[in-house]
Amino acid sequence: MANIKTLAKKQEQQVRLSSGHSLCAGCAEPMVVRTVLNSIDDPVVVANATGCLEVATSRYPGTAWNVPWIHSAFENAAATIAGVEAAYKGLLRAGKLERKVRFVAFAGDGGTYDIGLQALSGALERGHDFLYVCINNEAYMNTGVQRSSATPRCASATTSPVGDAIPGKPQDRKDLTEIVVAHHIPYVAQASVSNLIDLSNKVERAMAYDGPKFLNVLTTCPLGWRTRKDTSIPMAKLAVETRYWPLYEVVEGVYKINYKPKKHVPVEEWLKQQGRFRHLFKSPEGKSSLEEFQASVDENWERLLKKEQCLSGADAAQ
Amino acid sequence: MSRVLMRGNEAIAEAAIRAGCQCYFCYPITPQGELVEYMARELPARGGAFLQAESETAAINMVYGASAAGVRTMTSSSSPGISLKLEGISYMAGARLPGVIVNIMRGGPGLGNIAPAQGDYFQATKGGGHGDYRLIVLAPSSVQEAAELVMLAFDLSDRYRTPAMLLADGMLGQMMEPVELPDPIDPATIPGRPWALTGAVDRAPNVVLSFDLDPQGLKEMNKGLQRTYQEITERELRWEEVDTEDADLLIVAYGSMGRIAKSVVRSAREEGIKAGLVRPITLWPFPYARIRELSERVSTVLTAELSAGQMWEDVRLAVGDRAATPFFGELGGVVPTPRDVLSEVKRYANG
Repeated sequence: MANIKTLAKKQEQQVRLSSGHSLCAGCAEPMVVRTVLNSIDDPVVVANATGCLEVATSRYPGTAWNVPWIHSAFENAAATIAGVEAAYKGLLRAGKLERKVRFVAFAGDGGTYDIGLQALSGALERGHDFLYVCINNEAYMNTGVQRSSATPRCASATTSPVGDAIPGKPQDRKDLTEIVVAHHIPYVAQASVSNLIDLSNKVERAMAYDGPKFLNVLTTCPLGWRTRKDTSIPMAKLAVETRYWPLYEVVEGVYKINYKPKKHVPVEEWLKQQGRFRHLFKSPEGKSSLEEFQASVDENWERLLKKEQCLSGADAAQ
Repeated sequence: MSRVLMRGNEAIAEAAIRAGCQCYFCYPITPQGELVEYMARELPARGGAFLQAESETAAINMVYGASAAGVRTMTSSSSPGISLKLEGISYMAGARLPGVIVNIMRGGPGLGNIAPAQGDYFQATKGGGHGDYRLIVLAPSSVQEAAELVMLAFDLSDRYRTPAMLLADGMLGQMMEPVELPDPIDPATIPGRPWALTGAVDRAPNVVLSFDLDPQGLKEMNKGLQRTYQEITERELRWEEVDTEDADLLIVAYGSMGRIAKSVVRSAREEGIKAGLVRPITLWPFPYARIRELSERVSTVLTAELSAGQMWEDVRLAVGDRAATPFFGELGGVVPTPRDVLSEVKRYANG
């Protein structure tokens, strides 16, 4: 199991993503990448979809990556890593390679929930041996904060602007984690940049399996969420504490909620600190939207509890 | 009409709404984000439909669907996104569906960058997608012209039942200029769409289709397309000329580069060089005949592009060996200054 010391030690041994990249002040993405990569002992190959992470870490002629790294078009991280993994397996079969190499794909929510879903689903179904990490900041931040299907209801984005016609994004976010669960792969989990030890443990558990593994990691974007740059970690933590973003995992079909907040923190506490939800606190309609938002968070949490109860390890053992 | 200061992307969006665009479908990509955002803000409020798709492929197929249903419709993107739309564009051409595609070009190939470039000329004018089809391609060189040409693109697309593209670049998309927006069209002037799928009540069912398994049938369908393309070539050629009457050195350039070339002609004339400019406005159809005609009277036809020389091929087809046909190009999103092009002009004028 990971702890802060082992993680720090790994960072000292090999800096897999170095500083000097141009991600924004307050962006939590590098913490996710470092924690994921530092939790894997074997050599890794990384595929990276187009997005903030890719653009800001690979500006010619420099790179922040100290591991073999490949970029391809927006929708193709899963397909590209599948090709790399297939080539690796071919080399193993031909006896040209012997050592164990692990494969990781990083993509944002736009590149995963929307345009990359087809490639992700295909790679999961074919059963490639790789870890897919969706770094989810809930909109297309790299192109200027357009809504994605990970953007929560009521959030104001540049293509779901608050106005007379709509109160921010009219639709609910897609439940991608459950879509991935439906592929019946060995390991699926939700994590948050606020809980790095939990994230690290999840990567370790995931990498114990051959085959596809998936992590959906919530990360704050101060630009798109319109939050203070020094609150990215507390903001992500609040998303967990309010049960908006449950930390859970599905291991071989068995559900486990990794953290159950002891007291009920209203989701308003998380929403009210973000500019993208500010309009909800200014009108009577906003008040009812807030109530609906809370109801939806509660409903999702209850459903997850039931899944944990029904599809628990105890049942599986029967 | 009044002059307003607008960004190219926003002027294109506003002009499209004024042209009666009822449905707009998009997917985020730089450097055309402002077009998307303007449509998100404005189109629903003015009675139209705005939809952000899950991919460029989805967006162009939404255009296919909306067009078949009989409305004026548009999508916009930038180079890599247009690559994903090509399948849909070929299907629209085959099914004879009008619709406007805006490409705010950026540096390529691959992810390239987000700086202005003209590397998509081949893709736009030589097919791009599969099959024997042509795309009407209009290339503005100012924000004003971008607004006017996007409206023209809707008209031509409807008139000939074929998709049309506005081919601009990141510089035109991003720059702000005073623009006199044309008045909104009267929707009654939009040509009827008796072929559209509007519910076959009291009429025979319509068919919108891009395939025919019978080779003879597909041959006839293709011949019909070719007749249309011939008609467009005869009627819709557009270009601008500057100081061509007595020119000895002709520059051929379009879009942002055409604009740079205009200043070059002026500076060259000040230095006693008889330079002139042909700026194609329709890239397909291409003004071969006029360039051929002018090439009889000049010693040099210099093609200038923000590419490795794509339109250059068409210029050489037009000129043949009647004049020298050198090329000046910049790559990767680098934009030359008028002085860079002028020194090139001087080289050939003095040569």
